[in-house]
Amino acid sequence: MKARSLFLVVLMLCYPLTSMAGTIKGKVTAKGARDASDVVVFIDEVADGFKPPKEHAKMDQKNLTFIPHVLPIIQGTIVDYLNSDDVLHNVFTPDKCAEKFNLGTWPKGETRSYTFKERGCVSVMLCNVHPEMEAWIVVLQNPYFFKTDKDGVFTIENVPAGKYTLRVWHKKLKGEPQEIEVPETGDITVDFVIKK
Amino acid sequence: MKKRILVSAAATFLVLVLVLAISSISVKDAQAIPAWARKYQTSCSTCHYAFPMLNGFGKAFENNGYRYPGGDENYRKEEPTSLGSESYKKVWPDAIWPADIPGLPPLAIHAIGRINYEPDADVKSSFELPHELEILYGGTIGETVSFFGEVEIENEDNEIEFAFPFFLQWDFNPRWHIRVGNVSPDPTPTHMRLTRNHYNVASFRSRNRVRLRDEHSGIEFWGAGNGAGGRGGYRFQLGVVNGQGRNDVNSEKDIYGRVTYKIGGLGEIGGTEGQESETAEFYVDNNLRLGGFFYIGTATQNDVDEDFQIFGGDVDFWWNRLILNGAVLYMNSELPGTPDRQSLVWYGQGNYVIYPWLIGLARFEFTDSNLDIDVPEAQKSLIPGLTFVARANVRFTLEYFIPLDDPSKDADLFVMQAQFGF
Repeated sequence: MKARSLFLVVLMLCYPLTSMAGTIKGKVTAKGARDASDVVVFIDEVADGFKPPKEHAKMDQKNLTFIPHVLPIIQGTIVDYLNSDDVLHNVFTPDKCAEKFNLGTWPKGETRSYTFKERGCVSVMLCNVHPEMEAWIVVLQNPYFFKTDKDGVFTIENVPAGKYTLRVWHKKLKGEPQEIEVPETGDITVDFVIKK
Repeated sequence: MKKRILVSAAATFLVLVLVLAISSISVKDAQAIPAWARKYQTSCSTCHYAFPMLNGFGKAFENNGYRYPGGDENYRKEEPTSLGSESYKKVWPDAIWPADIPGLPPLAIHAIGRINYEPDADVKSSFELPHELEILYGGTIGETVSFFGEVEIENEDNEIEFAFPFFLQWDFNPRWHIRVGNVSPDPTPTHMRLTRNHYNVASFRSRNRVRLRDEHSGIEFWGAGNGAGGRGGYRFQLGVVNGQGRNDVNSEKDIYGRVTYKIGGLGEIGGTEGQESETAEFYVDNNLRLGGFFYIGTATQNDVDEDFQIFGGDVDFWWNRLILNGAVLYMNSELPGTPDRQSLVWYGQGNYVIYPWLIGLARFEFTDSNLDIDVPEAQKSLIPGLTFVARANVRFTLEYFIPLDDPSKDADLFVMQAQFGF
């Protein structure tokens, strides 16, 4: 009996929190790309301030490829670059918003890091030793983002109710931002078409 | 006992026949080619300072038997075609040892065209377009065999020259390879040359016309290893060749050897141990490489044998954007009925990377074919040039050959050379 009362109290306390967060669902259709993968769908700005995660984000250099190819992060996140290959790699960016950093070269199994300070910065990661290698880091204001797979389907959960601008980013294609209103409960569906 | 000796002799004979059959065909200088760019889905500049000149990694790739250091399987993007499963190794000698071949034909094209201008010649300018077309092929067969070859069609004073050299190579490990076919006693291989003009030490001929840069058919043992801490290292070559022709013209075999030691820089066989820096550029490999070489041979012309001996050394210094290198060759020639002749040939050269796609260079060459006489005087020349890498696989070179000695003072040659590969 006591336990049931306690459960009801906890449920009542949680109710306002859960009821004020909705989910954004949708699909990105890419015209002019092989598929709809590596599209970042994100809320432009949310009122609350967000601290970067204590855990570092990771970008691997493995089999002559940056993994992942696109990495969305929150402003202030430290990204660790790991060399997993038996060959030398390098990481640098020509983009000013990431201070045109050049991390040099380092042996297999070791990492070097960089902190992405500027919100809105989209910087390309390149390797001076292997010009075909390329990856992107997208620095966002808040954690309400999603990176799509090939099917382009996205889900952003636990978004506080309210009015926002929802944007998409793709390395080649562009899509129009959409004004949305996230309900206190339930889902909202938003679809994007991105093209050149 | 008798039977065993017979079997042993037959096996030796078969091996010799096989070796001789393969060594009757030869290849010029081994280069990295677009077939490998396709295999690994990587850019030319992974291996090239500016093609065909190799950078530190390109040499390590070559020293690993045209494989990535540490194993090839993780890096190739094109799956090979199996010629037998791995498990067949357990069945040998009752089955053929398994191997694989490139999934797609490992072919590449290299085309060269030139515009020549000779201010003091009767015909001052000519469009030598094309000058040369090479169909190159190279790859690996299983874990321990590699190959490289080309079919070459070249214009030489309006005569078409045709060549089809190749070699087959057993890569037991980076420290130990056997190459059969075309081998290279040239102490200044292609990885050092960006110019249209060949190096004088490679082009200098004995009195019976042998030169180091000719195609040499034979067998070569060679290997390479990293130095202390994974940096720099050694490379050696020891070979036996005909000396002249695919069918030898005399009963003597020529021998040659070369050894280099690299101090600092990327390990000769690659790897990442000890390789840490604050910056990285594909054309930077700070190191000093010192080398020595010899070639002892017999050259025959009109049934007269010339015995000659070549000794020399070279130095190759890379520092950030600058490369300084040089080589010196001393030759002693003994021809019946004539005094022995001693020759001295050397060059010094500098390259500077202005931009990764624009390289300035200058070379001074000195050739004294007979140290005992002053006439004709030693040949001296200066070759300034500029090479422009328009795309990773398209390169233009502007080059001016300026003779500095009196006898050749009217042989100025200005060349614009275009090269591309795919």
